[in-house]
Amino acid sequence: MNRREFGGLAAGALAMGLPLRAFADETCQSPYMPKITGQEEFVYVWTLGVEGMGDAQDKLVTIDLRPGSDTRGEVIHTVSVGGRNEAHHGGFSADRRYFWTGGLDTNRIFIFDVHSDPAAPKLHKTIDTFVKDSGGVVGPHTFFALPGSMMITGLSNDDDHGGRTALVEYNNDGDYVATYWMPTAADMQGAEAVDGAVADGYGYDIRALIRKNVMLTSSFTGWSNYMMDFGQMLQDPEAMKRFGNTMVQWDLHTRQPRKVFNVPGAPLEVRFPWGPNANYAFSTTALTSQLWLIYEDDAGEWQAKAVADIGNPADIPLPVDISIAADDQTLWINSFMDGKTRLFDISDPHNPFQIYEKTIDRQVNMVSQSWDGARVYFTSSLLAKWDKKGEDDVQYLKAYTWNGTELIEDFAVDFYAQNLGRAHIMRFGSSALYTS
Amino acid sequence: MIRAAAAVLALTAAASLPGPGAADAPLPVPADTCADADWAAAARDRSLAPHLGLPPLIHPPDNPPTAEKIALGRKLFFDRRLSINGTMSCAMCHVPEQGFANRELATAVGVEGRSNRRNAPTLINVGHLDPLFHDGRDHALETQFVAPLVARNEMANPSAGRVVAALNGMPDYRPLFDRAFGAPASLDRIGMALGAYQRSLTVGDSAFDRWRFGGDAGALDTAAQRGFALFTGRADCASCHTVGAADALFTDQGFHDTGYGRMREAQRQAPPPTLTVEVAPGVVHEVDFDIVRAVAAPRFADLGRYEVTEDPADRWLFRTPSLRNVGLTPPYMHDGALGTLDDVLDFYNRGGGGHPDQDPRIRPLGLTDRDLRDLKAFLASLTSAGIDCLVAEARRHRPDNP
Repeated sequence: MNRREFGGLAAGALAMGLPLRAFADETCQSPYMPKITGQEEFVYVWTLGVEGMGDAQDKLVTIDLRPGSDTRGEVIHTVSVGGRNEAHHGGFSADRRYFWTGGLDTNRIFIFDVHSDPAAPKLHKTIDTFVKDSGGVVGPHTFFALPGSMMITGLSNDDDHGGRTALVEYNNDGDYVATYWMPTAADMQGAEAVDGAVADGYGYDIRALIRKNVMLTSSFTGWSNYMMDFGQMLQDPEAMKRFGNTMVQWDLHTRQPRKVFNVPGAPLEVRFPWGPNANYAFSTTALTSQLWLIYEDDAGEWQAKAVADIGNPADIPLPVDISIAADDQTLWINSFMDGKTRLFDISDPHNPFQIYEKTIDRQVNMVSQSWDGARVYFTSSLLAKWDKKGEDDVQYLKAYTWNGTELIEDFAVDFYAQNLGRAHIMRFGSSALYTS
Repeated sequence: MIRAAAAVLALTAAASLPGPGAADAPLPVPADTCADADWAAAARDRSLAPHLGLPPLIHPPDNPPTAEKIALGRKLFFDRRLSINGTMSCAMCHVPEQGFANRELATAVGVEGRSNRRNAPTLINVGHLDPLFHDGRDHALETQFVAPLVARNEMANPSAGRVVAALNGMPDYRPLFDRAFGAPASLDRIGMALGAYQRSLTVGDSAFDRWRFGGDAGALDTAAQRGFALFTGRADCASCHTVGAADALFTDQGFHDTGYGRMREAQRQAPPPTLTVEVAPGVVHEVDFDIVRAVAAPRFADLGRYEVTEDPADRWLFRTPSLRNVGLTPPYMHDGALGTLDDVLDFYNRGGGGHPDQDPRIRPLGLTDRDLRDLKAFLASLTSAGIDCLVAEARRHRPDNP
């Protein structure tokens, strides 16, 4: 899909009214859910409580994005959930009426009702039994909506807090459905190890390409590492051995692993493009600072290869969140350590190259963009114990406009100045999703 | 013999397994290997039985082992509900498959990821140790658990009483305490159950034991025998890691300054300008230490035994660890900074930390490569048969973690 085709599609969607259903979402979410193709009205920020700051609890923060609103750019609502759970990622249910969020530390899952009043989400349900339900999975991470259910990636396990983990499925009512353990070298579950890949059993992100019946997962590290002081970990050679070096291709419908790819250095986010013939996905490796392409070759076989460096890998810039444009032409890549966002031209996915970069602040983690790519939002926190220390520990949401050549700051919310905590994942809300 | 073969197999296989988390780990032991429904009775019998190479295990007169206490202690040991936020249990730092220690971390990580300064020691044969901990701050398994329960960087409970009250509110514990003590949970009873369970983690019967104390001249190969000669002779390891005529704990239960603590403190105060970091298998970067510093919380000095006695003469003294099953429990030293036995042997061969005030027995040894290989072979011979059973018993029931 080129930009012209995309523009026509988007214009058609707008003419039909919001939101567009059936195949897409604003750039990085489950393709099963409706998306906001126009103006996002709210951004929900899953925020880590900080000891001694405000109520010190994790909370869902709602910021007003409505043009013309008196409170645009301001925090208009918060919901505290009790405790510090290592708030991290979250995802909407397929009907986009509920926002599921996880605590990587305490394994609690908080489900917020975002449809009754999109300006003021409320806590709908808390799942406190994730470990027992799943048979020992720890660290609920990505929440990927499937029709009628939620697929959750784990990061760790209850035996040793290491990296061996599984996918866990719940239905939309929050009832446990099944656990799918990641393949390991000792138990490949019928999967093929590609080019000598050693299945480590680790997990992180998940995305799917429905029409190809392909699901991809990536791999990070276990509780002991993601909860540990980052500087301590860098100085611990044993701990540094405990990172994932693989991605796994699954059969989406049967949940069976098919291939294990060697992707060394902790591949994190997984993003499929939207084009009807785009049979590939991108990921970035946190520790080795590479952009990877996982693609279907001419013979119909899926492969994985590194296609670009991100910054200078020797400096460990630590690529973190990425966001693919809805027209499949560009990819935002944030790197935590240097606080930069970089824009890559991915029009030829096999030969991507950087076309722009900007320092957002002293640290940056998440990036989310509107469907048309005109608005780009950044938040700051990676993990409570991985964030920078002292004055470099800035915590914010920053909103920019992207004019095709330059990011121009629109507004910023200082999460520390407002006693909120560490700002992590962002998801957009709109009342238009719930009106006919 | 089957048990011995299984243990050797596990060690051998672990050495050849690539991939994160598996490089040094023994293979998981299926729970049906040697633990059945009467596992707690077997564990009780084991803690009362003589073990080749070990002195008799002394049980406190007021806490004789029973199967009921051991079953309760095991459950407590694995229960993450005993921490403030339900994330940490004893077993999260003392992982059965990792030698009841933690091979994946140099220093332990507690509630909310809070840092500890020290490596989690193995609990195998902990019943023979007195005092306990790297700094010897406690003397009994019946009391030592209180500090981890309430330490902010371990299980972070606001009080021990909270744990007692919580246990008395859990229906699954009521019958277990009743069976073990005929009474509800109390701090004393928690300690007795944990102590009884940990004393069941007692095993001797290593290849060395069979050779030295069992009359089996063929149990130890010649390299390990040469290593033992060095250990007790020119290398002088046995002056602290003691070996008796009838048994051997490989520890004098004392405290020594090997120069290691001082060396590590000097490195903490003046880190090198760059840090070697392996970011993926075979991908190594020299990272500017300023990058590390940006994401590193302050670390504090570890003065060892002094932190218990406040006697300046005790600065930099650390407890002599037993060397039994040392091959199962990397990384080494009180802060886990030496990843392999080769690193440890090299440290001592160089003369330890090299500080002028360190224990004079720690001096350059002039050992050859062959000597070092022989010493390593000897250390490998200290792995007991039957550890697979301890692991199987530990995993006999899944914890009730929500």
